[in-house]
Amino acid sequence: MTAPADTTPALAVTGLSKRFGASVALQDVDLAIGPGEVHAVLGENGSGKSTLIKILSGFHRPDAGTVAVSGQPLPLGHPASSYRLGARFVHQDLGLVDSIPVLDNLAIGAGFATRLGTISARRSSERARADLARVGLAVDPGASVGSLSPATRTGVAIARALREDPGSPVRLLVLDEPTATLPATEVDRLMDIIRRVSAAGVGVLYVTHRLDEIFTIAGNVTVLRDGREVAAVPTSSLDHRRLVDLLVGEELTAAHHVAETLPAEGERPALSLRGITGASLDGFSADFGAGQITGIAGITGSGRETVLGAAFGAIDRTGEVLTAGGVRLAPSRPDLAMRHGLAYLPADRVRNAAILSLSARENISLSSLRPFRRFGTMRGRPERRIALTWFQRLSVRPPDLVDLPLESFSGGNQQKIMFAKWLRREPVVFLLDEPTQGVDVGAKAVLHRQLVQAAAGGAAIVISSSDVDELAAICQRVIVCRDGRAAADLRGGEVSARAISRECLLGSASPNHGVSSTTGVPRPGASPGRVFPDQGFPDQEGPADK
Amino acid sequence: MRISGKRLNFGFDRFSGLYLWGLFILIFGIWEPRLFLTLGTVHSIASEQAVAALLGLAVVVPLATGAFDLSIGATANLSAVLVALLQSQQHWSMWPAIAVALLIGVIIGAVNGFIIVRLQVNAFIATLGMATIVGAVETIVSGNSQPQPPTSSAWARLTQYQIFGFQALFFYVIIIALISWWFLERTPAGRYMYATGGNGVAARLSGVRVGGWTWLSLIFSGTVAGLAGVLFSSQSGPSLTFGPALLLPAYAAAFLGSTQLRPGRFNVWGTVLAVYVLATGVFGVQLITSVQWLNDMFNGVALIVAVSFAVWRQRRARADVTPAQPVESSPAESGPGAAGGGPPGSANGQSPGLRSSPAGDSAAPGGGP
Ligand SMILES: Nc1ncnc2c1ncn2[C@@H]1O[C@H](COP(=O)(O)OP(=O)(O)OP(=O)(O)O)[C@@H](O)[C@H]1O
Ligand SMILES: [Mg+2]
Repeated sequence: MTAPADTTPALAVTGLSKRFGASVALQDVDLAIGPGEVHAVLGENGSGKSTLIKILSGFHRPDAGTVAVSGQPLPLGHPASSYRLGARFVHQDLGLVDSIPVLDNLAIGAGFATRLGTISARRSSERARADLARVGLAVDPGASVGSLSPATRTGVAIARALREDPGSPVRLLVLDEPTATLPATEVDRLMDIIRRVSAAGVGVLYVTHRLDEIFTIAGNVTVLRDGREVAAVPTSSLDHRRLVDLLVGEELTAAHHVAETLPAEGERPALSLRGITGASLDGFSADFGAGQITGIAGITGSGRETVLGAAFGAIDRTGEVLTAGGVRLAPSRPDLAMRHGLAYLPADRVRNAAILSLSARENISLSSLRPFRRFGTMRGRPERRIALTWFQRLSVRPPDLVDLPLESFSGGNQQKIMFAKWLRREPVVFLLDEPTQGVDVGAKAVLHRQLVQAAAGGAAIVISSSDVDELAAICQRVIVCRDGRAAADLRGGEVSARAISRECLLGSASPNHGVSSTTGVPRPGASPGRVFPDQGFPDQEGPADK
Repeated sequence: MRISGKRLNFGFDRFSGLYLWGLFILIFGIWEPRLFLTLGTVHSIASEQAVAALLGLAVVVPLATGAFDLSIGATANLSAVLVALLQSQQHWSMWPAIAVALLIGVIIGAVNGFIIVRLQVNAFIATLGMATIVGAVETIVSGNSQPQPPTSSAWARLTQYQIFGFQALFFYVIIIALISWWFLERTPAGRYMYATGGNGVAARLSGVRVGGWTWLSLIFSGTVAGLAGVLFSSQSGPSLTFGPALLLPAYAAAFLGSTQLRPGRFNVWGTVLAVYVLATGVFGVQLITSVQWLNDMFNGVALIVAVSFAVWRQRRARADVTPAQPVESSPAESGPGAAGGGPPGSANGQSPGLRSSPAGDSAAPGGGP
């Protein structure tokens, strides 16, 4: 490989094991990453990837095993030494502090630029700009992280990880699903950055559920299943199919075969939007048909990311939202929308959907407590039973532990629990933003099947996604947003990843549109699946890029 | 060794309070067996701390929704003074006077709710301001002189009537505790309140009327504080200053309680346990010495030691979690933005904020000295 016998590996893990109570998260895992090697770690949701990474970063203490970073043994459970040895991390949910500026977030790891012990504002901000420019970001270092788009936040986390620190040069870069909500152009940029970093001799550990990225970037692949290593092979020995087989251990029935049986024309509109305005929407009108899966596509600022939230009442709006019965829904009243059969799965799970301190059961039942209520008192048994049913139906792992707090579930499993929370209400209209983020290939098929089933049962399903492949696979109709309006309406045979992308890009070609021009330009080398410039780093301008 | 540490988990994290209680009883029992190991000790601990326990219960409910109510001390005090004044000066009979005092608590809670929910003022600030205003009202009402306690025997009997040697007051605490436990743990309302406190945004998007539950929780705390004032007045007389002095112990109990029984959640029995563990300690210390400052010292040290022990345990045990271990949020999967205890009163009391500095926490995975 890239690491000849005489070079010390950037990362050497031997016999790593970790249990959480009765469940095994990692069992005797070995992993070696040479300098300059990009090594992908793959596995289903809950297979132990993030746990491995949290051990490397010193957050978890393993039960057994050793870790060495560029030859130096890592004292386990000690974040500072992990940093000092040159390991840098971008965690699954980034680990940025929302309430403080980008600048301070960048400085959290390596420290502020000081002068005589006082933070030097000018030097700090110059340095921050340089750090951000390295990953092609031109955000204002003074902007608070909470105000940035998910994609930009990922960029900031990467910039922080790559920040130069003369005291401890970077030896190992660890990325946990950095691309889960990244649009294609930013994925490409990230791939460039990774190539550059690895060319400089840094070992890269890369976790993703997007398999095409592996063939683009990774030299070797380690596959985990239930915490055990089931394969460690060079990427060149694999193709897409074999990789999926390794991951799931069984053949998938693709949901889109089933989806094809759904009608391209909805019988009647289950929800009608009329002139929705506010939060980058400008007079958006559309009908969503019952018994149909409608997709919503569009670049950043096109209104795609906000239209479902506005319809449900998560975001303030003007304009009319009408139910099938002709009821006009009040703005900013999710509770009333729910009463009329709407359900909404937000894009940002941690901030807007998950209640991490409550148990999985409590999260699932929160969407409607009525079935569990008798004489004003909650009955525990039916509540548990329903949670267990959904755990099985969506194969949430670990199985049956519905009383565990939500935060001890892996990212993908948390997402399944959010699905359960809404599906159990059997919504008439189900609005979903980025529904399968962080979900593995197998589980994605399960979730898609659930949506198809709900549509077959007469529900109107509306999916807003940055993943055109996902839209093309299960939607019978795709509405493309431009400039805050529904600009194109693809139906039946017209729906394809290519057609959706083309429609999206049409709009951003208009010169006086507010959206950054770079995000609109398709890259020739872009992987076919995700030519979808959406949610781009909004403040970024062309020249700032390298 | 770590394995055995896991096996040898006697529930130190969830039941540390019970162990501490046992330890106190052991120590003081050996030290002063004839004074300490008596029924009288049990009776007087039970009733002496009853009002403190009530105020602890009063704050647990708003804390569950993520709101601090700092006005409970002042409310209790005003109600205590008022209930005495109405009887001894205005010659009202007991029950109407009590009703008015309780009503005052309800009103104060409702106004707090209005300021926090409608005017969107941070709960910490709103209730701090309210506490000051209520203090001023108390001065106006009382003319700054302690009112005569009512002379009727029914008034004294209200709390001091003995049942199995316990003052009736103690049973009131048990009743209020049962009601609040049932409310928080066994009704949809309680579930909505915990959801509101856990993540207000997510709760709202799940159809929870976040503002309404916050409001209701503040009315609850105002009412219970009013009741606590009435009972204090009956038990010990309408002091002009007892309320604010009980504010801190009430919060100490609620926070200590959130490390017990259902760690990571403000909970009723944990709070009651905390009150009585501390009370036992203080009582024992008083038997041994009569130094004045020892009470405060004991309470403060016990609070800090107990909570840091629980945090430490939970950090160690973050791994071998069995249910309900949310004090620490994992930085990677949960993100500090949503998880951090945040400033007091933020809707986001995900963990009851036992650990300070969410920023420091999230810094860890990024690595860095
Ligand atoms: N703090 C914790 N307490 C208890 N169990 C945990 C905790 N953290 C993780 N687990 C469990 O360990 C297993 C591995 O989780 P991990 O987060 O490593 O999965 P992952 O491979 O990163 O999955 P995903 O792709 O969904 O992010 C899961 O079964 C999870 O429920
Ligand atoms: Mg993960």
